[in-house]
Amino acid sequence: MLARTMQTPLTIPVPVLRLPRGPDGWSRGFAPDGRRAPLKPEVPGIPESPGVPESQESQEQRARAALRERYLRSLLAMVGRQVSFTLHEGVHVTAHFGATDLDVANFYVSQLQTPIGVQAEALLRCSDIIAYTFKP
Amino acid sequence: MAMRQTPLTCSGHTRPVVDLAFSGITPYGYFLISACKDGKPMLRQGDTGDWIGTFLGHKGAVWGATLNKDATKAATAAADFTAKVWDAVSGDELMTLAHKHIVKTVDFTQDSNYLLTGGQDKLLRIYDLNKPEAEPKEISGHTSGIKKALWCSEDKQILSADDKTVRLWDHATMTEVKSLNFNMSVSSMEYIPEGEILVITYGRSIAFHSAVSLDPIKSFEAPATINSASLHPEKEFLVAGGEDFKLYKYDYNSGEELESYKGHFGPIHCVRFSPDGELYASGSEDGTLRLWQTVVGKTYGLWKCVLPEEDSGELAKPKITFPETAEEELEEIASENSDSIYSSTPEVKA
Repeated sequence: MLARTMQTPLTIPVPVLRLPRGPDGWSRGFAPDGRRAPLKPEVPGIPESPGVPESQESQEQRARAALRERYLRSLLAMVGRQVSFTLHEGVHVTAHFGATDLDVANFYVSQLQTPIGVQAEALLRCSDIIAYTFKP
Repeated sequence: MAMRQTPLTCSGHTRPVVDLAFSGITPYGYFLISACKDGKPMLRQGDTGDWIGTFLGHKGAVWGATLNKDATKAATAAADFTAKVWDAVSGDELMTLAHKHIVKTVDFTQDSNYLLTGGQDKLLRIYDLNKPEAEPKEISGHTSGIKKALWCSEDKQILSADDKTVRLWDHATMTEVKSLNFNMSVSSMEYIPEGEILVITYGRSIAFHSAVSLDPIKSFEAPATINSASLHPEKEFLVAGGEDFKLYKYDYNSGEELESYKGHFGPIHCVRFSPDGELYASGSEDGTLRLWQTVVGKTYGLWKCVLPEEDSGELAKPKITFPETAEEELEEIASENSDSIYSSTPEVKA
């Protein structure tokens, strides 16, 4: 006798390039280069050319973006490595770095060597961390 | 292999999203505005859902929001008894229009010269945006709070909905032309200029009427109470959402339910097709907006159709190189003639 099972059709979710970007959390947005401004009245005498110096704000923003990106990549580079953490009260611990959460509020680590023993898996609160160092 | 709908969730609001509207198609794409009970309406890029900016200024829940056709202006209606007009490019507030009660609905004329408002004071108001100091023209007649007011017939007429009636007014004479009565609360209204169609939802019904005569065309029943519905620009489909948290897509001609989607964590308050019909957006009690593909699996916006032969790893690889130097690279960024920090090689150098 053949057992007939109901199979739901296999579907794969439509892939996406990324998720929609949300608010940046500190400004109200409407960045001048965030989207091309439709037909703002042009100030006469200032040509639109690539050689025009960027405004101070744009420079700063690009620098901020670059620093942020480097920091995020440094976190990626830390994955699986041994990291030494300096915590409050002169406490030093080492652990293998696993991951951080979205707000970089907690570090997920394994093999955390503490003064009172080794913790197989642990969450370190970033607010408790003064500094950390690792060798890539 | 069949594709499954991947909705794109737009976060940022902290309270229920009660209204949303798309602009027309502009040279810079199209845009989406969302009204939220947190008082901070947001502007987003319409095809990706990317946040562009938040209109700050209202001191109460924002009940209605709209964009003008070319997305240069936005208007919002709020519980702080004001309607505001905004510059949608800079985010600056242009005008505050004081009302005598909660304002629920706002709509620009095609030329953006006039703004129609309606709210709990049961009056329709028409503001001349070129003369903001002038008193608005007022149309009275509604016996309960106005939920939605729209220009129609090339701005020659006005459609307005209160709790149990939908009324058609002549703009020039400011008088009522016709009205429809319902025994259930009207939850939403959408006007489709091409074809002069009015989409009205009440109870579990999604009804289509002529916007000119208010005569009924057809209506469908959904499995649950519907709060909002939208008709596709090409009138092939309609989408609807309501109290069961689900979105339904129907064939407009046959009334057949084609697709339904769970995803929101609360009732859906508003649903609208984009001006090109390629996606629809839903706003919910759960504080999110979600974008849904009309044709599941099509490459559009952030959705990318990957065929089995393609290297789907391509999507996972970042296309940015990790800069190796410190100060030099930051100086580069600050300099006038800096090259882009993004290179085209898909490597990550740790």
